[in-house]
Amino acid sequence: MILINCPYCGEREQSEFSNGGEAHVARPKNPEALSDKDWGQYVFYRSNPKGIFYERWVHTHGCRKWFNAVRDTSTDTFLKIYKLDDNRPDISEFKSTLKSPSGEPSVGSGNFAVKK
Amino acid sequence: MSAINNKNCKYISQVEIKITFDGKSYSAFDGDTVASALLRNNIRLIGRSFKYHRPRGIYTCGIEEPNALVQILNEHNEPNTRATIKRTYDGINISSQNRWPSLSFDIGSINNILSPIFSAGFYYKTFMGPKGFWKKIYEPLIRRTAGLGKPPKNFRSKSIHQNHNVDILIVGGGLSGLIAARKLIDTNNEVLIVEQDCFLGGILKNSNKVKSIDGKNVFEWVNETEKLILGSKNIKILKNTLVTTYNFTNHLIALEDKFVGKKIDTNKSELTLHKIRTTHTILANGHIERFISFRNNDLPGVMLASSFEKYIERYGVAPDENPVIFTNNSSTISLVKSLINLGCKPSAYIDSRNKNDIEDETKDYLSKNNIPFYPESEVEGCEGNKKVEKVYIRSSNKEISSIKASMLCPSGGFNPDIHLFTQSKGLVKWDDKIISFKPDTAFQNTITLGSVSGNYKFKDLCSEINKKLSFLKTNELNLEIETNIRDDFSIKELWETKTNKKSKWSKSFIDLHNDVTTKDLQQAINEGYDRIEHLKRYTTNSMGTDQGKISSINSLGIVSKILKKKISEVGTTTYRPPYAPLSFAAIAGRSTYEYYDPERKTPIHNWHIKNNAVFEDVGQWKRPWYFKKYKTETMHQAVQRESKQTRQSAGILDGSTLGKIEIKGKDALEFMNLMYTNAFTKMKPMTSRYALMLGEDGMIMDDGIICKINDKHFIATTTSGGAPKVFAHMEEFLQTEWPHLQVYLNSITEQFTTFNISGPKAREIVSKVFSDIDFSNEKFPFMTFKTFNYKNTQARIMRASFTGELGYEIYISPQHALELWELIFKHGKDFDLVPYGTETMHLLRAEKGYVVIGQETDGTVTPIDINFNWMIGKKKKDFIGKRSLTRSDTAREDRKQLVGIVPLDKSQFIEEGQHIVECENLPSKIKMPIEYLGHISSSYHSPNLNHCISMAMIKSGNKLMGKKLFVSTPKGTKNIPVEIVSPVFIDPENKRLTS
Repeated sequence: MILINCPYCGEREQSEFSNGGEAHVARPKNPEALSDKDWGQYVFYRSNPKGIFYERWVHTHGCRKWFNAVRDTSTDTFLKIYKLDDNRPDISEFKSTLKSPSGEPSVGSGNFAVKK
Repeated sequence: MSAINNKNCKYISQVEIKITFDGKSYSAFDGDTVASALLRNNIRLIGRSFKYHRPRGIYTCGIEEPNALVQILNEHNEPNTRATIKRTYDGINISSQNRWPSLSFDIGSINNILSPIFSAGFYYKTFMGPKGFWKKIYEPLIRRTAGLGKPPKNFRSKSIHQNHNVDILIVGGGLSGLIAARKLIDTNNEVLIVEQDCFLGGILKNSNKVKSIDGKNVFEWVNETEKLILGSKNIKILKNTLVTTYNFTNHLIALEDKFVGKKIDTNKSELTLHKIRTTHTILANGHIERFISFRNNDLPGVMLASSFEKYIERYGVAPDENPVIFTNNSSTISLVKSLINLGCKPSAYIDSRNKNDIEDETKDYLSKNNIPFYPESEVEGCEGNKKVEKVYIRSSNKEISSIKASMLCPSGGFNPDIHLFTQSKGLVKWDDKIISFKPDTAFQNTITLGSVSGNYKFKDLCSEINKKLSFLKTNELNLEIETNIRDDFSIKELWETKTNKKSKWSKSFIDLHNDVTTKDLQQAINEGYDRIEHLKRYTTNSMGTDQGKISSINSLGIVSKILKKKISEVGTTTYRPPYAPLSFAAIAGRSTYEYYDPERKTPIHNWHIKNNAVFEDVGQWKRPWYFKKYKTETMHQAVQRESKQTRQSAGILDGSTLGKIEIKGKDALEFMNLMYTNAFTKMKPMTSRYALMLGEDGMIMDDGIICKINDKHFIATTTSGGAPKVFAHMEEFLQTEWPHLQVYLNSITEQFTTFNISGPKAREIVSKVFSDIDFSNEKFPFMTFKTFNYKNTQARIMRASFTGELGYEIYISPQHALELWELIFKHGKDFDLVPYGTETMHLLRAEKGYVVIGQETDGTVTPIDINFNWMIGKKKKDFIGKRSLTRSDTAREDRKQLVGIVPLDKSQFIEEGQHIVECENLPSKIKMPIEYLGHISSSYHSPNLNHCISMAMIKSGNKLMGKKLFVSTPKGTKNIPVEIVSPVFIDPENKRLTS
């Protein structure tokens, strides 16, 4: 089980938290002004990258506070955890820390346990 | 020909115990495993194989055992227990598995003759037709024959979970693990050593390969090391514990058996699941010997060479005096030495390596002891009736000779046990020197030491450990390790020997547990399954409970030969946790039976029990479903009675489970306007309103009644199951989207107990109970509420109804709840007050056309779909879900809409979940899909109308009023003719509600 470092409580087990999907998707200020397509984009579409992902978490069974995190989805490594009102960290901050299990490519998946 | 006791073995006491196997009593020694005890008694036939029911014996001496699975009758009837690790005790009762009527005569072995139809892909090819055979014949047949042991009955076991947070975890208390531990003694690192056996030492106790360490004999050295460790301040040892899982972030799971070699005490916990969180993991979990495929390599009597040696050294029993030894590597000579030490002698030593590659020491030792030696030779096969009787040897000149022998010990080399390492997502690499995969790049903080890292040289061990642990800045430790065998490991690739003799019975196995033969691998590749992951699933190779521990690399070897590829190109299948079977009871821990899920009970719960309530689970809540008035009253009778009485006089419902959320703060009004569809701005203080909460997609999420105390203070109710979700939803938007709003939320579900009194006599009852409150229609109109003080606690009465009758909802502190409930009943007696449960609640609301969230709605229903346009604050600029209500899809006119349905023949009953169609009869054979218009969401027999009433979600329902359609039935092709009506069946003018 992954450990998550709640910015308010400290390191706790993943089972205390809930994931809230992609971060930095602001609710449109004036929904009525949007076309069906643009509104649909906000309601239904989220990115799902393999690699660096900005996402929201909430410490459901703890302080109930929401916060943001940068996670490498291919390794489940938390690269950064920050509060909601902190600035979005730039992606260049994390490029060098990327480490994929078993040398998997950045897209797709499969069995790459054997070093060629 | 028979077993020999090794009296020098220090791990077995010579105390005699009695065990029972298949009804017969045998004597064994305290400390024996089931396998060593049976071998001691010369029992070699242990069970029957999975598919062909071939006779099988004990193949290994540890966790890797594919064959010797037994049922422990006196321990929950535990099936599929590995005889090779299960320790015996006086009185243990063991039975063999997968045989009928007896182990030596098993009718299922006919499958062996029929084997052509059981080959690779058998399940996919065989059970194809004719139609209907699957359900009636194939499935019951497969279910009856599937599995090996019989599942336990009335299983009840206790286990606990334990957490560890350490700096360093050492997996394996063998030679490498102990050296690493010695380096860590009294350092600042907190260390945990996990060992699966009850003795430390690993290879030092399982073989005679190592002669001495620093001049001490190995037993003394292990004892000394254990003493040093136990005397240290920072190292703990867990014995009888197996690490099964290596997760992300260095989180490992290990299973401890608390009753090793003891009779289980069912009052105590049998297993402990250790959850270990560590900074560094040292894997020192060693290696596993692999077998070689040859003709009938599954016969009882075939046993891996190092396992044979382990029985001698660790369990003090040589299973046979004169086994034949067949090897392709340099390490097997230690078995010969173990045997000679006991005064036994192998009847042959067959080495497949070239003469020049075989060590001179080996040749000299064999000739000195007069052991028939076959260099550059191999075992072609073996034969015998339920046991090895003859071994066929193909010599270097390709000629085949046979010798008599009752046991045969093959060794196909050693695989570093990379299972845990690959679970940790480490990368492995093929090593041509040891002909196996070994760890390469670690993904986590994982260090492999000793044979698991591919280092089979004892002389290099200390320098390897010093080097790999140098980052810990501990003292170097250099030990003089003297061995009984040559330290250079030499091996020749050999996976399968060519079969000369062909008979229907003869087979060369690659997976003993699942009965997969080397022929099956060839056949699967011929059929196109040439990717190793496909091949594994098609043939079920290495998919048994042993996960192919002794054979999976062999299958890669055979496949690589067929495909003419390198093994590293073939790749491995994915290693997944657990490493070895893990009891569900251990995973469950204390979360079992009554502790599986918490139960939430209302303060009135005991009263309900006394009054014969039948309970229903709503989330974690226990709610009265209906009350039995007399013993034989059925649910239908009770519900009809409760419903009728409520509408005629009055009924009371325990509604305490309703979610209640208090919303307070400067911006509470703005917040409520954003969260709910309704407009709260013009709403007067001290009034309440039925309100809907939508998701951002415009679909109904929850409903409830909102009480407005003032613009800065609201109390919302939610559905019983929806309370946590609604609370979290509100909190999310407050924190993430509108942090500028000053609003505070407080869950008060359990702070207030709630009763619903409804019915024409409701006013008279509450007036008697609360004599100082004026309940007249003028002073206390519908959808208003009053707060008051009840015995120095806050209380609130709201005029609201979920039944369509005049109704009052009382919110009271739980400490006074029961006495008030009883007071209400005291006064209610004169007015024929009846307690009712959730089923009557559902019936009454259906008569009135009220929806239940989650019954009429399913996450695809908008307020417009259920005719709640009037609840949408259209003038509000924004609320959650508003924009979605005008999306082209949600604005469609042919969406499913809420209607009422009654059968034309009033005696007929419509079932919930049935489909609404246009045809009177369903065709007996459906060729074309029948157009489906909608479904019945609720259906009841209304006691007040005396016929069936239903609610349905149906396409363009609003336009279908008065239309005649048909509803399907669970059985038969004749549909029920129905009419579409308004969903409000009782009091459409709301006279009862508002009077």
